Amino acid sequence: MNVRQREGSLQVLQTVDINEQIHAQLVKAGVRLAATLPDDWLNGLIRRVAGDNDMRHIPVAREAEAIAICAGAFFGGVRSAAIIGNTGLLTCTGEMATLCLRHAIPVFCVVSERGSIDDHMIYQEVQGRRTIPLLQAYDFPYRIIDSPDEIETIPDAYEWHRLQKRPFVLFLTKKLLGLRKKS
Amino acid sequence: MKTNEAMKVLAAHRGEAVVVCALGTAANEWWAVTRSEDSFYMHGAMGFAASFALGLAVTIPDTPVWVLNSDGSLSMNLGCLLTEAGQQPNNLKHFVVDNQCYQTVSNMPMVNQDGADYAAIARGAGINRAITIDNPLELDRRMPEINAAPGPYFIRLRVDAEPEYQRPPPFNYEGPEMKYRFGRAMERKLGVKVFGPTGF
Repeated sequence: MNVRQREGSLQVLQTVDINEQIHAQLVKAGVRLAATLPDDWLNGLIRRVAGDNDMRHIPVAREAEAIAICAGAFFGGVRSAAIIGNTGLLTCTGEMATLCLRHAIPVFCVVSERGSIDDHMIYQEVQGRRTIPLLQAYDFPYRIIDSPDEIETIPDAYEWHRLQKRPFVLFLTKKLLGLRKKS
Repeated sequence: MKTNEAMKVLAAHRGEAVVVCALGTAANEWWAVTRSEDSFYMHGAMGFAASFALGLAVTIPDTPVWVLNSDGSLSMNLGCLLTEAGQQPNNLKHFVVDNQCYQTVSNMPMVNQDGADYAAIARGAGINRAITIDNPLELDRRMPEINAAPGPYFIRLRVDAEPEYQRPPPFNYEGPEMKYRFGRAMERKLGVKVFGPTGF
């Protein structure tokens, strides 16, 4: 089902199924807690997890909080995800290194791939160029989900990130999320 | 009040609380008093022990969780108070060791030294129960009420800066070993499953 809705500066040709599918695969992976900070590409997904009574939703004031909250949830035996924008990801790489890498704690991050070739917001351009090289420098694994048929790989990605014992980033692309520039 | 005195009082009232310590003075002093392995001694991410503790607290709602934060760490992540207030975790008690200095880096002065009331900041963020205690007898007297009250509860422990640079010996394990000791302690204590059948 396609619907139109306003989402910040974006005209969203939202395929409702996409966020529903991502949410469903997170649930299938066992995720029961989501720490989130809004990004206009991710707000549909954030609203979905916020509306899930079986998933604890923790809105945060800064993205590094989401990383630490998920690290804490790990020790309560609860699977979690940090849902944040690419800019926020850049702000918390220090905490990802000194908390998660330092103590070998896996944290699953769902991140909008801002600054991609089809994202023409000027304030996203650095993120688009430098995020992946930075992740590679830290040896944080990542995966880019660009088409709906890849969404079902999320549970595998979740298991794999537990094996890696470090932060893992699942990028969601603009194309996947059904977004286009406001006309 | 000396930090060590405050920690001894807290240890006497700990009960079944799981404890998360911010790096530096709070962690080192708690280790010195308790040697407890069902405590997480954060070794990085300055400012984010409170967020870690919140994530833990909401997943084990029937177990009291304490975070032993510090003024320097709290100042790096004041937004954690908003997030904590937003969640209103009944089982979380947030202690802040306020010595007005960065004790473990040669006793350098805190930013805005002696000019900030962290309990007032916590109340302003939406944590209604927020107090300051500056002597061990008062702390000992108040702890039963603090333990019994629903969280979030913010307790600023106004302690003396040590006159000279002082660093109690830190815990004698770190990094991945910290993860496994604490995780296994949670499994034994709470019956939760932190690790899978093959150990990761």
